[in-house]
Formats: sequence, C-alpha cells, structure tokens
Amino acid sequence: MVAHLTRLLGPAHLELAEETVQEAMLRALQTWPYQGVPENAGAWLFRVAHNIAIDALRRHRTLGEKTDAIVAELAHAAAVPDDPYLEDQLRDDELGLIFMCCHPQIPRDAQVALSLKTVGGFGVREIARAFLADDTTIAQRLVRAKRQIRDRRLTLDMPHGPELTERLDSVLEVVYFMFNEGYAAHVGEDLIRQDLCLEALRLGRLVAASSIAAPRVHALVALMALEAARLPARVDESGDLILLEHQDRSRWDDRLIAMGFHYFDRSMAGEDVSEYHVQAAIAATHARAADPQSRDWAMILDLYDQLLAMNASPVVALNRAVAVAKVRGAAEALEALEPLASDPKLRDYYLLLAVRGHLLLELGRNEEAAACFRTALECPCSEPERRFLRRKLGSTGFSA
Amino acid sequence: MAQFMLLLHSEPSGLMQLSPEEMQKALEKFMAWRVKPFTRDGHRLTDDSGRVMRSQGGQIRTTDGPYSETKEILGGYYTIEAADYDDAVRLAQDHPTLEYGGTIEVRQVWGT
Repeated sequence: MVAHLTRLLGPAHLELAEETVQEAMLRALQTWPYQGVPENAGAWLFRVAHNIAIDALRRHRTLGEKTDAIVAELAHAAAVPDDPYLEDQLRDDELGLIFMCCHPQIPRDAQVALSLKTVGGFGVREIARAFLADDTTIAQRLVRAKRQIRDRRLTLDMPHGPELTERLDSVLEVVYFMFNEGYAAHVGEDLIRQDLCLEALRLGRLVAASSIAAPRVHALVALMALEAARLPARVDESGDLILLEHQDRSRWDDRLIAMGFHYFDRSMAGEDVSEYHVQAAIAATHARAADPQSRDWAMILDLYDQLLAMNASPVVALNRAVAVAKVRGAAEALEALEPLASDPKLRDYYLLLAVRGHLLLELGRNEEAAACFRTALECPCSEPERRFLRRKLGSTGFSA
Repeated sequence: MAQFMLLLHSEPSGLMQLSPEEMQKALEKFMAWRVKPFTRDGHRLTDDSGRVMRSQGGQIRTTDGPYSETKEILGGYYTIEAADYDDAVRLAQDHPTLEYGGTIEVRQVWGT
C-alpha cells in the first residue's frame, strides 16, 4: 500500500505515504479489536488510507498546484477498491518500489534499510536491532536515502536493458542480505528474526512472479525457502540452538520444503549457474535426506568446492570445512581451517572457533578444544549461541 | 457466572510509535483476545475525553472529560464472564493492551 500511495503521491513524498499507511493501521488497531474485522479488511484499509492522504494533502497543500489532480486520483482509487486490476497494480507498485530502493545511487546499507522500511513496513527500531546499529544511525541512513530519491528524481518505473539486469542483481543481493540478517540474528535472545526471513522470502517470490524473473531469482527463492523450512527446528523449547545433525526432521516445514523444490526445478531452466544455484543445491541435499545418517556429504562437499571456486569467501570455506570433516574426517577438516585463522574477517567470528573446538573435541584434544570455546565466548554472539558454547565447553572436561 | 467490565485506558500516541509491521502483530494479538470464549461484548469509544456533567448550585455544569490533563483516554470496553475478581483479573492478564502501555480497570457488574 505504501508503494501504491508512493506512485500516486510521487516518490518525493515517500514519507507521507508511509505516515498515511501507519495512520490507517492505527485506526484499524483502535477499532477492530472492539467492533470486529470488517468484511473486506483490505478494502477498508485501502479506503481509510486514501482518505487520510486526501485530508493531509488538502490541509497542507504539500503538492502545490498538483494537489487537486492528485486528490481526485486518490478519491477515484478509493472509490473502486474492487477493481479487478488493482491486485496486479499493487504488485507492480511494490516491485517498482523495491527496484527504486535498490537504485545504484543509494548506498547498499541504505538500500536494505529503505526496503525494509518502505516495502516491509518495519520500524527504525526493528531495523536497528537487525543491523546491530543504533536508532539514530538507521534514521540518518533513511533520511539520506530519501534525499537521494528526491534529488535525483527517482521513479517507480522499471529500468530497461542492461540496467535492468544490474538492478535485478542488486535487488537479489538486498533480499538475500535481508534473509541472512534474519537467519543469523546475533543479539540477545532474539535468535531468529523470522519476520525478516519471511519478508525476504515474500519479496523474492514477488520478483520471481514478475516477467523479469531469471533462473537465478528462482534459485534464490529455492534457497531461502529450503533454509527457512529449518527455522522451527533450529531451536528447542527452551530456545537453545540445535545443530543441523541433531534437528528433529519432523519439525521442518514441509510446505516450505515443497516450495523450495518447486522453485529449484524452475531455476534449472537455461544455462545460468549462479551462487544461488549452488547454495540452493546444498540446501536441497540437506532437505532430501530423510535422516542425518543418510545425508549425502560427498555431494555437499562437492557443491562447496564449486561454491568456493565462484566465491572465495572465508565463510564459505568455513562451511566447506564442516563438510570435509564429514567426508574425510576431523583431522583434514582442521587442516582446511588453518588458513582461516589469520583471516581478519573471521577474527571475531565465534563460529570459526566453535567449529575448531568441535573438531578438536572429536580428535580427543579436549584441552585445546576448551581453549577454543572459551575464546569463542568472548566473541559477539546471541544468548542461545552463548549457552550452546558453554555446553560445549562443559563437555570438554576442562571448563573450570 | 458474574459479568465484569474491562475498561481499557491507553495513550494512542503510544501505539503510534509502532511500525506498520508491529501494528499488524499487535492487531493479531488483539483480535485473538476478542474471540476468547468468556468475552461477551465490546465497544470502541470515540477518540476524545467526552464530557463530564455535574450540578453546581442548581446549575448543570458540563466540562471536558476527566482525562483532559493526561493524554490517556478510555478507548473502549469489554464485558467478560468470570467467577470473581481473581478470575476476571486472571482472564484479562494476557490482554495485549497491557503489553502496549495501556491499563485495564476491572469492575464487576452489580447483580450478576
């Protein structure tokens, strides 16, 4: 709805569109709990939001001479909420808005924040929490991004030709970043920002359903769906982390797994093999195994080798080392970890130390393992992760 | 079963701090509470503090509502069925308004 109003009001008035939707939601929140949800809740919100926008425009004449024309357009839109094309239009508006948010003139971190704020409806506080930033930083980021939109007269129109391909990649990166932020939430008890994951998945599907979808879009959606399917099994009742190999397979979300495989099949059209394809293939291999014993680790290792060749990132190498341990044993995995120890990007990354400690423990080098877990506990990590590390430390017999 | 009124006082400005996403979550919680088996009735009141009337020296004096000093207003009320006050308080305990800074005044309806 923000997207729709942004198109009617013009991207320079993105803020007014946001405030309008917020006000409409507030009215719903004050009314529905007593009177019940109106028969067509969507149309109700739509009408109320348009009326709020009309009032605001009339009051402040924000848009100068154009006010009357836009008011007329808003009134018209509010009067016919059951327009059969409305849903398509709303989808297009939303797609246009996220493509605008990912405009190359807007810095990456602001692209993500702006997408979450305008398309996802998240608040500054929530975004700040997801980014481990304070509210002011995020608020400033948003203000700067909105200024760019105004100054450069960005529009909701889709780019064309090579610019479209470039922008699509940027949109996919933003969506995947959003997903990972949700998946790997670092702070406090807030282990899984499931909302972020589901919003990323929704946006991915929105792009996948449009005419500009490429196979890598489907691969990304497949990847996100298959990983999101494991969310309910990642923590136990007390909120503690459960490793993939100990997860209760029956708690995986079958609907999301089916969705993942569906998109994975669609991603196979054409020659395009993106990183998303390889990662989706890894997630699919995990999902295909009926139980942890039957997991095809050789295949997974093979896929990680491919992924590492496409993207030599230390985090990929770390994940690959876990597969090495499964296929060739802990000693070789430990060797594979060696070059990562000096990587500055992983210096404060608890997971590297946790994996190292785990491998040392398997090799019976408990005292060294304990040292690893102790150092890991000094890295930034969430409360459940901390409890997990403490449990591991306890199992070394050198916890004191 | 006796009937109790839950009078919900809150500051609308508090809810305005929520993002649309959070509002949607809040809305779901409020709606879930509304259909609990013990809830009989509920009404929203208008967004103002109303009027207070009293007689002074034979003259009826009407002033703005009792809450004009604060931003808090009586936003609406529910009627619920409960065995006694303890029970009513227990039932109202998970009403989402408490989570969002509101207060609930619980009063038993006489003769029920």
